Order: sequence, then C-alpha cells, then structure tokens
Amino acid sequence: MFAITWREFTSQFKSIRSIIIILFIFGVTTGSAKLISQFEMQLKDLGLGDNAYVGGLMLLLFVASPLFVTSISHSIVNKEVDSRTIRFLATKTSRQNIILGKFLGNFLFWMFCLVIALLLIVPFSHAFYFSEFIQSVIYVSYFIGLTLFLSTIIRNPSLTMFLGISLSIALPIIGIWGMFTKNFIIKSISYVTPYFYYTQDHTSYTYFVLIFTLIFLVLSLMVFKRRDL
Amino acid sequence: MKALSTKDLTKKYGNKTVVNHLNLEIEKGSIFGFLGKNGAGKSTFINMITGLTLPTSGSFEILGEQGDSLHRVRHRIGVLPDYSTFYENFTALEHLKYYSRILRLSLTTNELKEILKQVELEDAINVKTKNYSFGMKKKLGLAQAIINKPELLFLDEPTSGVDANSILNIHTLIKDISAQGTTVFLTSHNLDEVEKLCDDIAIMNKGTIQTKGSMHQLRREYQDNISVYIKHDSISESKQIKLRTELSSLVKNMKVASDHLELFVEDESVIPKINNYLVSEQINIYRLEVEEPSLEEIFLNLGEEKFSA
Ligand SMILES: Nc1ncnc2c1ncn2[C@@H]1O[C@H](COP(=O)(O)OP(=O)(O)OP(=O)(O)O)[C@@H](O)[C@H]1O
Ligand SMILES: [Mg+2]
Repeated sequence: MFAITWREFTSQFKSIRSIIIILFIFGVTTGSAKLISQFEMQLKDLGLGDNAYVGGLMLLLFVASPLFVTSISHSIVNKEVDSRTIRFLATKTSRQNIILGKFLGNFLFWMFCLVIALLLIVPFSHAFYFSEFIQSVIYVSYFIGLTLFLSTIIRNPSLTMFLGISLSIALPIIGIWGMFTKNFIIKSISYVTPYFYYTQDHTSYTYFVLIFTLIFLVLSLMVFKRRDL
Repeated sequence: MKALSTKDLTKKYGNKTVVNHLNLEIEKGSIFGFLGKNGAGKSTFINMITGLTLPTSGSFEILGEQGDSLHRVRHRIGVLPDYSTFYENFTALEHLKYYSRILRLSLTTNELKEILKQVELEDAINVKTKNYSFGMKKKLGLAQAIINKPELLFLDEPTSGVDANSILNIHTLIKDISAQGTTVFLTSHNLDEVEKLCDDIAIMNKGTIQTKGSMHQLRREYQDNISVYIKHDSISESKQIKLRTELSSLVKNMKVASDHLELFVEDESVIPKINNYLVSEQINIYRLEVEEPSLEEIFLNLGEEKFSA
C-alpha cells in the first residue's frame, strides 16, 4: 500500500497542474500575508488582528481547494482502469491497498501543501495555526474522498473531470445557500456538504466532516472490489 | 497437490455465458497449455483466477487458498494478463522497482537488471515504455510476472507479437522457470509452442473444456493415422505385389515403391509386426520413420468432429 501511496505523492510533484496549484497557493499566501502586514494597525482596530493572516488562507482554501483537488485527482482511479495499467497492480496487491494507497498519497500531498502554506505565514504572524491546519486538512479530505469515489464509480476520466468541477462549484453554492433558505431539498443537500459544519458556532462540528470522508472511502472500496479490471 | 482447481467457475456478461461451469485441475510443477479459438473464454478464465475479473458463480482454489482469499497467495503468483499497459513515462527499470516495492520484495537494482536481461531487455532498461515496441512490452510484461519467482505463473499469450529469436528465448526461459518448480499456465495460438512446452493441455470452446489431458493421452485419443515411412533395398515387381497383399491386413493405407514404403497405421502396435515381416522376407531396412500426429492435427480433428457441431 505504501508503495502506491509514495508513488501517488511523488507523482504530484511531477505534474504541471499540481505545480501550478502549489505555486498559486504559496504565492497567494505570501502575497496576502505581506499585504495584511502593511495594514496590521488598521486590522487590529477592526478586531481582526493576527487572525487576518490565516483568515486569508482559509478563505482561499474554502473557495478554491475543491477545484484544485478535483482538477488534480479526478482521474486518480479511472485513468489507470481505463489505460489498464491497474492490471499489473491488481495482480500484485489487494484492491483495498490500491484504493487506500491512492487516497493516502493524495491526502499526504495536500497535508504537505497546507503545512508549507501555513509555514509561509509564520514569519508574518509569528505563530503556526495548528487548529486551522487540522480543519483545513479535514475539509480537503472531504473533497479527496468525493473525487476518489467519483473516479471509482465512473469509468470515463473526462466525465469525472467535468462532474468533479461542476460539483466543486455547486457544492459551496448549495452549502451556503442552505444556511439561508427554508427549501427542504437545498437544506438537506447542504447537510452532506462540509459547509454546514464549517459555519456552526462551535469548531468541533467540523470533525463530523471526517465521517463523510470515511463514507466516501468505504463506498469507493466496496465499488472497486466488485469491479472487473 | 493441485496448484489450481476450479469448481463450476462461470462468467456471464449480460446473458452471454463466456465461461460455463468450468472444472479444471492443474498439477503442481506442470506446464499447462490452454488452447481455444478467439473468444473461447481463455483470458476470461485466467482473469477470474488472478483476481482481475469477478466470477459470476462457482469457486476455485489456488495454491491451497480459496478464491476469496486470493490476497494471501498473491505474492506467490505471477501474471501476464491478456491486455495491460505500462506507465508511458516510466522506464522498464522504474516499473520493476515500483512493482517490487508493491510486492515488498527487497531486490537490488542489479537483481532487477538481471531480470530484464533474462527477457532480453538489457539494452532498453532506461528507455521509457512509451518508446517500446509491442514485443518489448510483451517482454517487460513477462519480466514483471516473474519478478517474485512465483510458484504459479500465468502467461496469457506470452509470445504473440514476439520475433522468432525472442520466442525461442522465451521458451527457454519458461522451461528454466518450470525446472525450478514453478507451475506454468499458458495460453497460446501457436500449437507448435504448446506441443513443445506443455505437459498437459486443455482445449476450450465456447466457455467449456472441449478436451483435456496430457499430450501423450491426446495423441492416442485423437490420432487417426500414424504415418510410417520405410526405406529399404530395391525389390522386384513381384515382391512388391506380395508385400501389398501381405501388409493389407495390417495397415489402413499404403504406397509401395521399389525402394520404400509409405504406410498409414491406426495403432502403433502393428509397427513391429511390419518390421518383422520385412526382416523375414530378407528385405534390408535403411530407415524407419514414424510420424506422430501433431497437436495441429488433433486440433483440426476436434474442429471437424465437434467444433462444427
Ligand atoms: N468486458 C466484457 N464485456 C462483454 N463481453 C466480454 C468482455 N470481455 C470478454 N468478453 C467476451 O467474452 C468472450 C471470451 O473472451 P476472452 O477474451 O476470454 O477470449 P479468449 O479465449 O481469450 O480469446 P483470444 O484467443 O482472442 O484471446 C468473447 O466473446 C468476448 O467478446
Ligand atoms: Mg485471450
């Protein structure tokens, strides 16, 4: 399993798409941190203080990371099934190891990106925002799980690309819409998006989102085990 | 003990039954040849046994484990599946490194290079597989299948698309692997190859086993004629006529010439009788050739008798 994890992880650094995304995140993070540091006094007056540094990063992740995750990982499983490179793997290790290995590899990649992004603001804020780190990891894990699931149930890589991007635009909209509407359908859907949990007063709600990640993972495993490769 | 045994193994695609209640046993240590026309279900069978495709019903036991516990014996099995590809931007060596890590083998780079040398890829070790020819990919496929020194090796058409010299090399490799105790299960459309390599064979047709047995058994079962060629002294016209009448009860068909005989016999037990007769007639024999039916003849016989039915 860890051989697959390691390959998934390292291959991200060889893909142009991931490199652009990494540079984008790191660029925006340091850029906004610099900007904020110039207005430190004014922000303190507004009561935003040190949180402003990490706040910018969190907002960026909140809005853009679903798109980033789907665009990097949309074909995590079905590309290999489609090209049949998966066959050599499947004769050597269990299907469970393939799915878990791929999930973990992508998960590690995002952990790595988030740690670096948060470290980049340390020089400005003089603090590592640990709880924000955990929350953003959980948030991203939801989308990794969702993308993995889509990539497992749908055989066509370009279809998962399209669906993934549509969902990563639609889910935030529905999630936030659900907070304000009384429409039953929208509200029910918003409960399965992370946004509902991330907008509660108490941050411990965010841990519920891990359950969804787990559900996606288990569903992917179940589907993948029954698949002819 | 059996390396593999299946019980009513079945695969359906929609309402089309591709492998139909198949029961097959493979002896440990043998080289087993699996024959059959295109679409007979050979690859589907292998894919089920190796965990690539899920059986619709039935069960199998592989190296002493039930099919649902296949993961327990995976590291003892090697597979070259029918259709599979490599990562385009990986070299042969990178592939083997990755696969050996997945199998948790601690092979050194030199050991991996040695495996690539065995399949004649030593000149292309660091070439990306997108620049590989079809035959080279086949060889790499073979290399990845033997990387773990498997006890049971499945090779789905290991030599199709491979040049003549390389085929000979692959045959030697398969024999060497078999000599080390590995059970080999291979499919092929090359009857000479199967005849040369395999101890036991099964012929599959429309999802079922048409016939199976050792090469020896099948020859006996399906041979119509054994052809016997005898070169001898020149004999007179009258002696030729005598020969013809005397032998007619023993052989099915014959051609008598002044210095040779071409006979077709049904049973090899008559060959010594013919020989004795010629000796008693004081005819000197220079050469006696017996030609057994080839697998191709058996295959064709089967085709005429049963495939068309
Ligand atoms: N995924 C699939 N969906 C539907 N039918 C399939 C599928 N895979 C194989 N088949 C059908 O199953 C039958 C057996 O195919 P299989 O590949 O096992 O044959 P084979 O004996 O290996 O033939 P060949 O000698 O050409 O390799 C064929 O009729 C094929 O069309
Ligand atoms: Mg086939």
